[in-house]
Amino acid sequence: MEVGTLFSNLALGLSVAITLQNLLWCLAGAVIGTAIGVLPGVGPVATMALLLPVTYLLPAEGALIMLAGIYYGAQYGGSTTAILVNLPGESSSVVTTLDGYQMARQGRAGPALAIAALGSFFAGCVATIAIAIAAPPLTRLAQQFTPPDYFSLMVLGLVFAIVMARGSVLKAFGMVFLGMLLGLAGTDVNTGNTRFTFGIGDLFDGIGFVPLAMGVFGIAEIIANLTNPERRDLVSAKVSGLLPTKDDLKRAIAPVLRGTFLGGLLGILPGGGAILASFSAYTIEKKLSRTPEKFGTGMIEGVAAPESANNAAAQTSFIPMLTLGIPSNAVMAMMIGGMMIHGIIPGPQVMEQRPGLFWGMIVSMWFGNLMLVVLNLPLIGIWVRLLLVPYRLLAIAILFFCCIGVYSLNNSANEVLIITVFGLVGYLFMKLDCEPAPLLLGFLLGPMMEVYMRRAMLLSRGDPWVFVQRPLSLTFLILAGLLLLFVIVPNVRRARETVFQEAN
Amino acid sequence: MRRREFLGLAGGLAGATLTAGLPMRATAQVRNWPERPVKFIIPYAPGGGSDLIGRPWAEKLSQAFGQQFIIENRSGAGGMIGTEAASKAAPDGYTFLMSPSATLTVLPHLRKTPYDPNSFLPVARIGDFVSGFSLHPAVGPKTFKEMVDYAKANPGKLSYGSAGLGTATHLRLEMLKYRAGIDILHVPYRGSADALNDLLPNTVQMMNEINNIPHVKAGKLHLLNINHSTRHPEFPDVPTLTELGYPNSDVPLWYAIMGPAGTPKEIIDKLNAKCLEIAKTEDMQARLKAISAALPVQTPAEILAYRDADSARNAEVIKAANIKLE
Amino acid sequence: MRIRSQDFATGLLFLAVGVAALWIGADYPMGTPQRPGTGVLPRILAWCLIGTGLLLWLKAVVSDSPRLTSWAWRPAIMITLATVAFALLIDRLGLIATMTVSMTLVALGTAETRWREYVPFALIMIAVGVGLFIYGLGMPIPILPRDVLWK
Repeated sequence: MEVGTLFSNLALGLSVAITLQNLLWCLAGAVIGTAIGVLPGVGPVATMALLLPVTYLLPAEGALIMLAGIYYGAQYGGSTTAILVNLPGESSSVVTTLDGYQMARQGRAGPALAIAALGSFFAGCVATIAIAIAAPPLTRLAQQFTPPDYFSLMVLGLVFAIVMARGSVLKAFGMVFLGMLLGLAGTDVNTGNTRFTFGIGDLFDGIGFVPLAMGVFGIAEIIANLTNPERRDLVSAKVSGLLPTKDDLKRAIAPVLRGTFLGGLLGILPGGGAILASFSAYTIEKKLSRTPEKFGTGMIEGVAAPESANNAAAQTSFIPMLTLGIPSNAVMAMMIGGMMIHGIIPGPQVMEQRPGLFWGMIVSMWFGNLMLVVLNLPLIGIWVRLLLVPYRLLAIAILFFCCIGVYSLNNSANEVLIITVFGLVGYLFMKLDCEPAPLLLGFLLGPMMEVYMRRAMLLSRGDPWVFVQRPLSLTFLILAGLLLLFVIVPNVRRARETVFQEAN
Repeated sequence: MRRREFLGLAGGLAGATLTAGLPMRATAQVRNWPERPVKFIIPYAPGGGSDLIGRPWAEKLSQAFGQQFIIENRSGAGGMIGTEAASKAAPDGYTFLMSPSATLTVLPHLRKTPYDPNSFLPVARIGDFVSGFSLHPAVGPKTFKEMVDYAKANPGKLSYGSAGLGTATHLRLEMLKYRAGIDILHVPYRGSADALNDLLPNTVQMMNEINNIPHVKAGKLHLLNINHSTRHPEFPDVPTLTELGYPNSDVPLWYAIMGPAGTPKEIIDKLNAKCLEIAKTEDMQARLKAISAALPVQTPAEILAYRDADSARNAEVIKAANIKLE
Repeated sequence: MRIRSQDFATGLLFLAVGVAALWIGADYPMGTPQRPGTGVLPRILAWCLIGTGLLLWLKAVVSDSPRLTSWAWRPAIMITLATVAFALLIDRLGLIATMTVSMTLVALGTAETRWREYVPFALIMIAVGVGLFIYGLGMPIPILPRDVLWK
C-alpha cells in the first residue's frame, strides 16, 4: 500500500474514531471488557452475546468499536485473575498463571500486573499498526497454510507444551496425552460418532475449556490452600512495591518484543494460531534463557512474553475477519454477527464499501489500548489489596465466581458439575506433582491436530507423504523433532547414569 | 337427602366449578397474551445464522406487542439440547422454538433425537438463507453445466467443503451427487467459516453457503446456481436448480417459529397474524435482504405441509447417500 | 517397589486411564488411510499413556521420588459439596438460597472460619451476586425460590 493512501486512510479512521460518541463506546467496551475479564468464567463471548441485541440500537461503527473493546479489554482483565488467584479464564491466560501466580505469592503481584498491562499495551499498538499497514499481504501469507501445515504446526505446539513443563518430562508427556484424550471426548466432526461421552448428553459437544481450566487450576488451588496455611500465607504476604523495578523493566523488554512478533504472526492464522501464541512465546523465552530452570518460579519474563504475545494475537486475529470475513475464534464470530445485524456482510468489500467503519475500527483499537493501560495501571493497587482479604473469605468468593461464571457459559448447571470433577482431579495432580498446564494445552491442541490430520488425509486421498512434501509442514515437523530430542536426550542420559550408579 | 348423597353432590358441584373454572381462567390468559416476556429458544450459539434471522424478529415483535420477546441461545449437541428444552417447555405461549430446518427435518433422520420433531406446532416462517454452489475459478468451469461435465470427466477430483456432517450444506452436496450422478469428495468442517478458509486458497473447490456470497461479488468465486425457488435478486443471471433441470433438490435452509405441542391455537394465530404484518414492512424485508435471506410468507398449515415435504426429501437423500451418524 | 511414591502413583493413573480408554474405545472404528476413523487417535493416545505409565513405574523402581502426602479430606469434601450444591440448587431454588448453602459449605471446609465475620461477608456477597449477575449482566437466573415456581 502506498504511504499516501495509508495516511489518508488513517486520517479517515481517526475522524471516525475520535468522535465523542465513538470514544465513549470504545471506553465502554474497554471498561466492560476489563470487568468481565476479571470475573472468572464470564468471558467476552458470553458478554458480547448479551450485548449483541443492545448494539442493534447503536450505529454500526459504535457497535463494532464497543464489541472490539470488550474483546481486548477482556484480554487485559483475564490476566488479572490468572496472576492474582491462579484462575485462567481463557486459554490465553493459562501460561500467565505459571509465573504470574508465583510472583503474586512472593508479594510481587503489582509488578506482574504492571508488566502484563505494559506488555499488552506495547503489543496492541504494534499489532494495530501491522493491521493498518499490512492486512492484505498478511492475509495472503495466512492462506499459504493448508491442512497438513496446520497439522504440523499443532504437533510443534504439543512439543512446546512438553518443553514448557517445569518438572519431570515423563509426567509432562503423560499430561499432554491425557489432555488430548480429554479433548477427544464428544462428537467427532468427521464421522459424527461420539467418543467417551458415556451417553451423557452434556458431553456430546465435548468438555468445555473454561470448566476444565477452572477445576484443575482454581478449585484445586482452593482445596490445597485451605489445608495448608504456609502455602497460602505467601499469597497474602506483605506486598512489596506496586510497580516494576528498573531491573524488571530491563528484563522484560526483549521478551515483550519477541512475544509481540510471534503473537502477531500466529494471530493471523484463522485455523487456531492465536491459541499457540502465549505458550509458544513462553517456551521460546525458556529456551533462550540462561536460567530455564527458574521458569515457573516467578520469572518476570514468563509474564511479559506470553501476555504481549496473546494481546498481539488478539489484535491480529481481526485480520482474517476484516479482510475475508473469516472468524478465527468465537469472539470474531460474534463480531461478524454484530456486523451482519447491521446489514454489513463481512468480506473483501467491507474495506471498499465502508472505509470509515474499517479504518475507524482500526484506529479505535489504538485508543482502546491506551484507555486500557491508563485504566489498568491505577487498578493494580486495588487488585493487590484484594489479596489482603483473609483467605478463608477469599476462597468463598473465588468459588462462587467460578460456579456462577461457568453456569453463565450456557446457562447450564451441569457445567458446574464438571468443575467439581476437575477440581478433585486437579487436586490429585497436585498431590502427584503433575503440572496441569501441559494437560490443558494437549486438551486444546489435540482435537485440532486430529481434525487437520484427517482433513489432510482426506484431501490427499490417503497419501501420508503430504506432511513432508509441503515445505511449511516439513519445517514444523523438523523443528518439533529437534526440540523433542533436546528434551529427551539429557533425560535419558541422566536416567542411564542413575541406573548404572545403583548397579555399581 | 342422605348425607352421603349430599357429599357426593357437593363434591360433584365443586368438581364441576373447578373444571369449568380452569378453561375460563385459561381463555382469559390466552386473550390477554402476552402478559409477560415471551422467550424464543435458539438452539445454537449467539452470532450464528439463526441469531441473524431471529433477532430482528424478536425486536419487531417486542415493539408490536409492547412486551419483551427475548432470545435465549441454548446451544449444544447440534441443536438438540435447545430443541429438547423447547419441546418440554410449558405450552402456555411464553416459550417458542426459533428453529432452523436442520433440527426438525434433517437431524431426526440421522440420530435418535430426544424430542419428537413432528410435535412442534408451526407459527410462522421467518426467513430462508439463499445461496448456491460456488466454485473456485482456478478449476475452470464457469456454469453449473460445465461443472457437472467436469465432475463427470474427473470423478472424485473436486472437493466440497461443508459446515459439518449431516448439515444442510452437506445434504446439498449429496443431493447434487444423487440427482446428477457425479462423484465429489465431501470434506466436513466445523462450521462454514472454516470451510470458506480452505475454499479461498483452492484447498477445497466447492461450497454452498451464504458466506460465499461476498466473495462471489468480489469476483473470487463463481456462483453456479441458486438453491431456492426463485433467483437471487443480486444475481439475476444465475439460474435456480429447478431451471437447470433438477427440481426438488434445493435442501432449503429455512427458519420458523414453532411452539411446543399444546400451545393454544389462539396464541399461535395471534402471533402468526402479527408476523405476517411485520413481514410486509419494508424495514423487515430490507434487513433480511441484507443478509441474503428470502422471506416466504406462510400460514401454519402451509408450514406444516412444507416441513413434511422437506423432511421426506431429506430422508430420501440421506438414505441414498448412506449418511450415518453414531 | 515404592508403592507410595509419587512416580509410582502417577504411573498407575496413566496406566489406568490408558487401559480404560482402550477398553471404552474398543469398538471405535479405525477407518481407512483416506478416512482415518474415530478410533485412531484414542488408541494411539491410550498406548502412549500406557507406555508413559510403565516408564514411570520403571523410574519408581530404579530411583527415588517424593512420597505421597496425605489428602486434605475436609476442604476437598466440602468444596466438592459446595459446587455440587450450586449445580443442583441454582435452577431449583434461585440465586440467594443457592449462594447461602454453597458458601456456607465452603466455610465449613476450614477450621479457621469465624462465623461472626462470615455472616456479614456472606450477605455482602449475596448482594454483589444479585446486583452484578442478575441486574448488571442480566443473566436469566431466578433470584428467589418463588421465581422458579412462577417460571
